Amino acid sequence: MTQRISKFKRFVMMNPIIQFFKFIFLSIKVLLIVAGGHGGTREVHK
Amino acid sequence: MSKIVILGAGISGHVAASHLRRKLDKTHEVIVVSPNSNYQWIPSNIWVGIGRMKSKEILFPLAPLYKKKGIGFKQAKVTSFYPEGDSETEKPFVVAEYVSAEKKGETERITYDYLINATGPKLNFETTEGLNPGTNKTYSVCTYTHADHANEGLQALIAEMKKGKEAKIVIGTGHAKATCQGAAFEYILNVEQELRRQKVRDKAKITWISNEYKLGDFGMDGMLLSYGSNIMKSHEMVEMVFEDRNIDWILGAGVNKIEDGLAHYETLTGEYKTIEYDFAMLIPSFSGHGFKAFDKNNNDITDKLFKGFMIVDADYAPKPYEDWTVQDWPETYQNPNYQNIFAPGIAFAPPHSISKPRKSPNGTEIFPAPPRTGMPSGITAKLVADNIIDSIKNNTESLHHKGSMGNMGAACIASAGFGITKGSGVSITTFPIVPDYKKYPDTMGRKLGKTFGEIGLAGHWLKLMLHYAFIYKAKMRPFWYLIPE
Ligand SMILES: Cc1cc2nc3c(=O)[nH]c(=O)nc-3n(C[C@H](O)[C@H](O)[C@H](O)COP(=O)(O)OP(=O)(O)OC[C@H]3O[C@@H](n4cnc5c(N)ncnc54)[C@H](O)[C@@H]3O)c2cc1C
Repeated sequence: MTQRISKFKRFVMMNPIIQFFKFIFLSIKVLLIVAGGHGGTREVHK
Repeated sequence: MSKIVILGAGISGHVAASHLRRKLDKTHEVIVVSPNSNYQWIPSNIWVGIGRMKSKEILFPLAPLYKKKGIGFKQAKVTSFYPEGDSETEKPFVVAEYVSAEKKGETERITYDYLINATGPKLNFETTEGLNPGTNKTYSVCTYTHADHANEGLQALIAEMKKGKEAKIVIGTGHAKATCQGAAFEYILNVEQELRRQKVRDKAKITWISNEYKLGDFGMDGMLLSYGSNIMKSHEMVEMVFEDRNIDWILGAGVNKIEDGLAHYETLTGEYKTIEYDFAMLIPSFSGHGFKAFDKNNNDITDKLFKGFMIVDADYAPKPYEDWTVQDWPETYQNPNYQNIFAPGIAFAPPHSISKPRKSPNGTEIFPAPPRTGMPSGITAKLVADNIIDSIKNNTESLHHKGSMGNMGAACIASAGFGITKGSGVSITTFPIVPDYKKYPDTMGRKLGKTFGEIGLAGHWLKLMLHYAFIYKAKMRPFWYLIPE
């Protein structure tokens, strides 16, 4: 095993309070990306 | 009065049926034909496969829901397509064979005005000799029955490890052109965490085996993503996670034969090798279902409808990787020969892969086929339903709704371990799914910021929330349609 994630980073990754805010942030970000629209590609590049 | 027939009740078939039923009045018929009596939320099979969720938590029976909502349901599998009808039946129809106990073996001609083929993939275990879930110590997590089986195999091995057995675990792809690396990636991390939870991690050597050229390709040619304040490549991110969890990897491997506890594979360098294991989960290749199609005079016209999967409005002209563009990818999922047939989700034939094609010196193609994950499957199904609804309401063909995978984002919330306080997830979003190298030339074809990665407990919560939200939506509970695909 090679420790690639520092102790501090691991703390941040697993701390429920920090992660609660991350959860809110991630939910909004994912929603914006996915619900943020989709469309064709063909006209745009004509 | 229109009759819309939907083949398949997976993510895309069910999404299409729900939206059609909600937006069309009851004078129009919506009928689903699918062999499985249950709806299953496939992404949570990962947790069934490690025993942290029961399969009954990820499925529900379709018949009562469809009855309540006014959607017709035939528990049958389609075998052939007659898009022009035939001498006996004037309208277009499909032939379906019932699988339900009461009508088993009976066939029926199901006529339609609009047909949505949402039959997803055939799990093509046969193309890899000896790869058959539950035999030769190999398993799959592609369906809930497979996942239950995988969990039994895993728990039996863990019991032996608790008695001192040293075990070799191999997880990845079971064919040179398999896809769905994301699911295998989730499973390997969940198995690793489960071994730690059960205090036998030190007894296991875990290896990732995959047809990817680099880690983190995921069948999407890899990606450049923002990770906190850094910008990194997906292979660097996955490498970091695997090294940190002491998982080895073998890349560019086309698994071609399975024996009891032994996987044979060919590498991109042309070598033939084997790897031993006590437990393996290998994703099979996906293919079309081998449907046949006939014109009104009973001539075989299968190649007008199928190219393995169903032909849609993609550009199938063969061209080198360097000439691929996002414009090759379909926008409306309409069959060009029969305008009332559509194929969203995994059922449509992609124009080519997304990952760069590679061959071994022996001529074997070893690279991932393009994935179509849950989100694009749902989005494409909804846009197909919306175009049919508009066409019916306006009494003229409408293809207003478009959604190319070259202009659509996707979120892959990969579980990296289960547990409200001990769980973890690798959340990756990409925009667009198919890289647009012209639009984003300096960022590997994708928009940075919209293409990002995050690792941590929040990812697990998000995946769990999505599990409950999508099952709520699939059950068509109040305001289900407000939850986006
Ligand atoms: C283990 C696993 C984990 C995954 N995790 C994720 C994830 O975390 N996020 C994500 O976005 N995606 C994930 N995916 C991918 C996702 O499950 C698929 O993209 C999605 O299921 C595709 O939907 P579909 O409706 O096109 O096909 P399917 O869901 O496969 O549905 C096909 C339907 O067609 C029916 N059918 C088959 N043959 C016939 C026939 N002859 N006649 C009529 N009906 C037929 C089937 O019974 C089924 O109901 C995962 C996949 C797997 C295997």
